[in-house]
Amino acid sequence: MTAPVATTYRKRLRAPKFALALPSIIWYLLFFAVPVAFIVVYSFAAKDGSKLIPVDYSNLSGANYSNVFDETFFKVFKSTLRISTIATFGCLVIGLPVAYFAAFKVPEKWKAIILALVVVPSFTSFLIRTVAWRIPLAPNGFFSKWLVDMGWIGTQGIQILETPLAVQVAIIYNYLGFMILPLFVALDRIDIRMREASKDLGAGRVATFFGVTLPLAGPGIIAGVLLTFIPMCGDYVTATVLGGAKGNMIGSMIASQFSGAQNWPLGSAMAILMIGSVLLSMVVGAAIVWLISWVLKHPPSISTRIKHSLHERSVSRTREGKATWFNFDVLPIALSVWTFLVLVFLFIPIFLVVIHSFNGGSSFTIWSGNAGVKWWDELFDSSVAWAVMIRFVVLFVVSVILRNVLMRTTKISRRLLNWSGPTAFLLAFIINGISTDWYETVFDFASIGDAIRNSFIAAFGATVLAVILGGFAGVALARRPGVWTKVFMASVFLILVTPEIMDAIALATWFPRVADFPIIGYPFKNGWGPFNGGMNKLWVGQSLYASAVVTLIVRARLAGLDEALEEAAADLGAPPARAFRQITLPLISSALIAGGLLSFTLCLDNAVISTLISEAGSTTFPVALLGATRSTIKPFWGVGAVILFTVTLGALWFVTVVLRRSGSSSSEIAATIAGS
Amino acid sequence: MTQELRILAPDSFRDKLNRRAFIKAGTATAGMAVVLMACGGSDSDSPDTTAAAGDAAKEATGDWSRVINQSSGTLAMYTWGDYDDPALVGALAESSLGVKMKVDYFASNEDLITKLSAGGGSSSGFDIVVPTGPYIVQMVQKGLIQKFDKSLLPNMVNVEPVFLSQSWDKDNEYSVCKNWGTTGFFYDTTKITKELNTWQDFLDACMGEASGQCSVIDAAPNYAGPYFWANGIDWNTEDKALLDAAEKFLVEELAQHVKAFDSYPSTKIAEGAYTLAMAWNGDARQAYFRIKDAGGTPENWRWVLGSPDTELFMDTFCIAAGSPNTEAAHAWINWILIPENSITDLEYHGYHTGMKEMEQLITELAPDLVKGEMIFFKPEEVKTMHTQVLNTSIDRLVDILNKAKAKAGA
Repeated sequence: MTAPVATTYRKRLRAPKFALALPSIIWYLLFFAVPVAFIVVYSFAAKDGSKLIPVDYSNLSGANYSNVFDETFFKVFKSTLRISTIATFGCLVIGLPVAYFAAFKVPEKWKAIILALVVVPSFTSFLIRTVAWRIPLAPNGFFSKWLVDMGWIGTQGIQILETPLAVQVAIIYNYLGFMILPLFVALDRIDIRMREASKDLGAGRVATFFGVTLPLAGPGIIAGVLLTFIPMCGDYVTATVLGGAKGNMIGSMIASQFSGAQNWPLGSAMAILMIGSVLLSMVVGAAIVWLISWVLKHPPSISTRIKHSLHERSVSRTREGKATWFNFDVLPIALSVWTFLVLVFLFIPIFLVVIHSFNGGSSFTIWSGNAGVKWWDELFDSSVAWAVMIRFVVLFVVSVILRNVLMRTTKISRRLLNWSGPTAFLLAFIINGISTDWYETVFDFASIGDAIRNSFIAAFGATVLAVILGGFAGVALARRPGVWTKVFMASVFLILVTPEIMDAIALATWFPRVADFPIIGYPFKNGWGPFNGGMNKLWVGQSLYASAVVTLIVRARLAGLDEALEEAAADLGAPPARAFRQITLPLISSALIAGGLLSFTLCLDNAVISTLISEAGSTTFPVALLGATRSTIKPFWGVGAVILFTVTLGALWFVTVVLRRSGSSSSEIAATIAGS
Repeated sequence: MTQELRILAPDSFRDKLNRRAFIKAGTATAGMAVVLMACGGSDSDSPDTTAAAGDAAKEATGDWSRVINQSSGTLAMYTWGDYDDPALVGALAESSLGVKMKVDYFASNEDLITKLSAGGGSSSGFDIVVPTGPYIVQMVQKGLIQKFDKSLLPNMVNVEPVFLSQSWDKDNEYSVCKNWGTTGFFYDTTKITKELNTWQDFLDACMGEASGQCSVIDAAPNYAGPYFWANGIDWNTEDKALLDAAEKFLVEELAQHVKAFDSYPSTKIAEGAYTLAMAWNGDARQAYFRIKDAGGTPENWRWVLGSPDTELFMDTFCIAAGSPNTEAAHAWINWILIPENSITDLEYHGYHTGMKEMEQLITELAPDLVKGEMIFFKPEEVKTMHTQVLNTSIDRLVDILNKAKAKAGA
């Protein structure tokens, strides 16, 4: 296909294959590998409270590890693993029917709607959703009182808060979305002919599900399990907010060693043991999965008999034409009811957050009985806020009218005109930004206003970093594979699976050191431009996970595309830079936008890393809210959460629109958003 | 009027007064009283002047220093959650002083120290920090806070001398009292029938009638406190045998009955999560209002000051080392020491702010203050309160708390 004569015009980049991934490699070395290595070193040292970095290296020993294996600490380890394992199973059992329903039982349009409804709660403030669970579960709350009035429970009311059960429920809630998405993607990719063939060969519903569908969905199930189990093990927000003394989890224990007890060495040892036990349980899980599949492939008599009898039963049932009422009527209805209930479950806290932002009382979780916009007033300078809103609405309406008029009168392509909505939004955003001094004067209560603004600045900066790093690395991975690919993919995977609390402590203890380095340390110590050191730290901290996600999305996008276009450009004499700009970049643009907006929503909600590394003047909304959860949460936090929710929703809508325009189906969009 | 009134604000100051702040001044705005006086230059006792600003503009009589130093820029404060009247750290500070405040919250003194240390000791970006007294020694030693320029804090004379010159900072070179409080417990008399009066009663109830329904303060010395106080042991003891015995009780016996380690139980009390809660007096007082908010009956709850001995904690205003805006930090601390501001803050958080002539200030400035008995204590009660000393036992106490948490969760 390539004429030999053209080869002479070809200009190839004469750099090592991993050249494009170099920024990522340096980034991960500097802000992941080295900081984590320090944690390993700390774990062998001793505490010395008199120093700024309270670690004494003079005699290294394994004493911290034996302390962790102290009976009591070990119990928390075990209970954390227990809660996470049960919750993972819970998510799987609850999520699988929903994913199955969405993948097989509904038309394309409904798929998109169900998925959107699953995604929306998953990307709203994790912290405020968790706090909101206190409202229906409170023993003095309306729900509890109603149950007591009905005589269904004793007069003491619901006794779930401050127990492991509350943590269990909330953790299932918090991670359910992360389970459903990959499950859906996996199920949806199954060739429908496989299932039809199974049925044609006489297998019934059950046999088809266990014999065909489930094995084919294996990778999706594994992805879902990983996406839920690992963050659960490191989660400390849920346990802190709802768990009380009995629902303690290891994440909060580690965090308290660093900030509370100032015992970095012990905390480091715990963190390392935690990631060790997470990896170990993954290995055990993988072994079990492998064992099951081995048993199924090399059937000893018992599994053959089970399979056989299943097959026989369904064959005979099909032949006799019996039990059709069960097969054809009840199942879809049951699935749809189940899906509906799960969606309601997912939306309960969000409704409560919105309602309680109009609470007239002084505490977010306690409904005072009188509704009012008191806390909205408290947070916003109403005259400016209204003006901002009016400008948004007016510009949007104008854009819609303009679009319709232009479509009728001119011949500007429809595709171009469809961008009028997003453009109007951007325009309104900028105009409002200028007229309100970048939203500074909208807020009456400076602290929360700042926190909201800082969240956006931090998330935006981290997203820019993530898109640049992840974009280049993704291209390099897809187009220049080699030995390095495996090593690099392993480290990307490691970043994705490392519990956030571990990254957080590694970075929090690394930044004070890095601040003293000549050039690298400068932005963290002094900041640059209008951004202070804390903001620079947040960008780095939040960019790690986000860039790994972007890397995977870009790689997946390019892997699905023929390299012929780029080769053609090279054959025609385009220098590599130009080929990249004119060919590769347009190809990956939708992946970059999707990845960027996905990382934006993730960063906007980042609490764990940000809490440990933020500084004065760089406090983000989740950090401020986490600080407030220790005392009283005023209803204006609900107001702030509603604002952030609206914006996150806007961002997600934007992703969907952009992906739609580039021709993806709802399934592909879900796949993109799930990061797989 | 006898007091020397020194206002450093220019005459045009009135124009600077943010209109927004004026509208919002339905809440007591002591600062405005000062402003009004500056404008008219008249005696505040004149009823006409005060009436003009409504009920809000009250002013204490007597000999008070009310210096206001104008400043500018932003002021970052790092403090405990929900610990200041939002107006005093927001709109009112902006209109009176010209500084824009940003407030962040920490959950413990150790959190504060870790955060300041993480900034390399001098680049945390915070201006004002609010450590508890005993921690000041360590913070000075680590170079985390800086000395005051006392010439910028003339209003310090308004503080009762008893609350100055504490053991951790004899000459108030680094710190000045923000407020002080004490520890007791709060219980639901409909659920716990026995009358509780002492720490021993508290511990017994927690391990008996209220087992699994009681909360304790989530701070190492406070968790150990009730055991020491109930047994007549100095809670600052460094005696290894005593600490061993304490650990045995606190970890092996008490921990399993604890429902939550919660430093601010007021909201959760209102939610109905606890029937017995160890609490700081200000937070317990908040619980009354929260319970009412939730539609409960606060009268069913009883506050008990811990006895025979209990804690006296004093939280202090300090200026962080490397503070980007020390001038504003001084100006704000000085401003909050004006009695009217101090009482506004007191009404919000419910802790004694250490002003002189407190009784008179309350009658004049906050006559509607409810549950005053949870803020002010009789001299014989104050005698039973002891401040914490940060000594070698702290590591051990932190260790005990951690073990207790692990045990409680098992």
